[in-house]
Amino acid sequence: MFARLANGIVAPKRVIEGQATNLSRTMHGIAYDAIHDEIVIPVALSGAVLVFKADASGEVPPLRAIQGTRTRLVRPHTVAVDPVNNEILTADPSMRAIAVFDRMANGNVAAKRVISGPRTGLLDIVGLDVDPIRNVIVAASRKGNGEKVGLFVFDRLANGDVEPKQFIGGPNSKLAHFRQVTIDPGTGNIFLAQQNTRMKQMEAYVLDKPREGFTAKEKDDEDDDSDSGRLDQMGFIAVYGPDDNGDIPPRAIIKGPGIRLAGAAGVALNPRKNEIITVGGNGFQTFLLPDFFKPLKKLGGGTARP
Amino acid sequence: MRRILISAAAAIGLLVAGGEPWPLASAARAPGVSADDSSLDALLAEDCADGVALEIAQAASRLPQEAGVASDEWPPHALGGVIPPVRSVSDLFPTFDGIALDTENDRVIFSDENRHSLLVYGRTAGGASNDPTEPVQWVFGPKTRLGYIAGVEVDPKRREFYTVNNDSGDLMTVFSYDDHGNVQPRRALTLPHQSWDVSLAPGRDEIVITVQQSNALSFYKRGATGTSAPIRTIRGLATQLEDPHGTYFDEAHNEIITANHGNWTQIRPYTPYDPIVTDVGEYKSGAFHPSAITFHAADANGDVPPLRTIEGDVTGLNWPMGIDVDLIHDEIAVANYGDSSVRIFRRGDRGSVQPVRVLRGALTQIVGPVSVAIDTKHDEMWVANYGDHTAVVFPRTASGNVRPKRTIRNAPKDTPTCGFTNASAAAYDSKRDEILVPN
Repeated sequence: MFARLANGIVAPKRVIEGQATNLSRTMHGIAYDAIHDEIVIPVALSGAVLVFKADASGEVPPLRAIQGTRTRLVRPHTVAVDPVNNEILTADPSMRAIAVFDRMANGNVAAKRVISGPRTGLLDIVGLDVDPIRNVIVAASRKGNGEKVGLFVFDRLANGDVEPKQFIGGPNSKLAHFRQVTIDPGTGNIFLAQQNTRMKQMEAYVLDKPREGFTAKEKDDEDDDSDSGRLDQMGFIAVYGPDDNGDIPPRAIIKGPGIRLAGAAGVALNPRKNEIITVGGNGFQTFLLPDFFKPLKKLGGGTARP
Repeated sequence: MRRILISAAAAIGLLVAGGEPWPLASAARAPGVSADDSSLDALLAEDCADGVALEIAQAASRLPQEAGVASDEWPPHALGGVIPPVRSVSDLFPTFDGIALDTENDRVIFSDENRHSLLVYGRTAGGASNDPTEPVQWVFGPKTRLGYIAGVEVDPKRREFYTVNNDSGDLMTVFSYDDHGNVQPRRALTLPHQSWDVSLAPGRDEIVITVQQSNALSFYKRGATGTSAPIRTIRGLATQLEDPHGTYFDEAHNEIITANHGNWTQIRPYTPYDPIVTDVGEYKSGAFHPSAITFHAADANGDVPPLRTIEGDVTGLNWPMGIDVDLIHDEIAVANYGDSSVRIFRRGDRGSVQPVRVLRGALTQIVGPVSVAIDTKHDEMWVANYGDHTAVVFPRTASGNVRPKRTIRNAPKDTPTCGFTNASAAAYDSKRDEILVPN
């Protein structure tokens, strides 16, 4: 946890870590519940979602842990919290699913709803957020062949193998290798952190077994899954309106060397101060952009102008 | 690996703009090193000469002065564009992760997860200075294919050292003592994702690799390259391998000794290239187990239980990371990240046993240790701190809250560490006005 105004080489103000926390050193998501003052975090390597008091520090146990055979969790990657409807959502790429739990769920508890199946288009789900005002869930999911790589918008109460009500992706979007997604509750604007515009590279192994037919790439610089550093492939923060749909470019964007420093793997918002925080690699950057926290005009009549 | 280069270039640009020196800029060269003789600064400058990188580095260096830099026209009619941050938090210095000690050639090799480099020091390096210690050799740059590296191993006879990319390129890379700067590895072996440590068995001509997410130990021939498959794998419910990290191939006793964090899940394929599988068999839920040290037969293959384990409350094990074995005094040293200690056990211990010695406390300057190395020849023990920009050296039998004999620094004294690596998410805590970053 860092002070918002931290700048330079700075140590965190406090850290939650150690055996008693049940955390690991491999965690890919986080959500803050401002109403109940809690932190929600997935533990991919233990098939669990943990909830901590937001002021926790040091080696402290979680308030609640969602884990067990009824949860069906395998490798939860990212989380979101809906403090209005009292729900915790997690996306699990190994389950190929979004699972919705009661916010107070603790222990071996079944999900209230699960969005999963071929009609959903979900596969490698790496980003997730919920908008309790507009009643939607937005998921960022990737498929290796380039199809269905983008943002999937579902009704908040969707359950089972259902199609998304909106989908943003395709060649004009340049969406490819992205991660965290977050929604500005005031406008419904959707913010997505994209590490680069190349598709995620195929891994040589399927878990611990060599992938059949895999051949190593010859060029060294293609072995990196993260931002390539080329201007035409660099990552960015993309912003969309709540009603956006289809193969469209971002309506607002942060790109260039500033975002490059962060790597654009994660994105968080401070709407009160009009700040966008991006994280990646070994650092995070803060951008001050009031216009990004204003409603984007609905697209229509062929215009893409915000 | 371009990302690494550009990060470095941009960071250097910002550093230069801020008037701060690069800590390793004047690093000395090792005797006999025959590769290019450029300094690290020169190497970075050379690597920026490809136009694109230079443009980015220059743009980054202008960020504090400019409100924006013009770039291409995509996306059309969009708000924003090339925008500088108002604040930037980043650790620009190396962080020590793994250690490999070579008492035959008097060198110690550290993996640097933060800047993606391998730093080689003389065995007697370090002291009481507040300044960074100069390495005698380093490997750094896009040609090296180093990503978020973790464990490191050395082969003194062949004068080679190994490291494992824990993320961003699933590789083990091997370099020679004759390599320096931005060089290609002598050989590279593709590994499963989230491999963490490597240990060499020279007699068997094998290496063993820990794989966190698969809870596995994978064995390869020492000289394996490319996509060579493992010759055997220890994996499964019976193994009690749970988020394995450090490992040691004990040829003398035909055992593999492994430090485990205790996280476990029966992972299924998850990448965007793997299909949806509906028939997943019996579902086993995730679990939190205590940290443990497991001992497996070195010839084991498949879902094989450990020969014995060290586990339990009195062990004090808490996110154990790297380990080393003292075959002369029959002891195991563990870098215990969770409580910033080093714990020494008898090699034959089993069950819930107290360590024979614990090195811990403010005087020790052990902060978030990730690896440990025992030097029986000179009766010393090395500890690499992730939580500080240091490695500290003690008498081998040091115990309690004692000062180190000497300190190796990769940044000026009291330089903070941000404490995270390869982060991919953030949240904002509006009540405390804080930014939250999971590691």
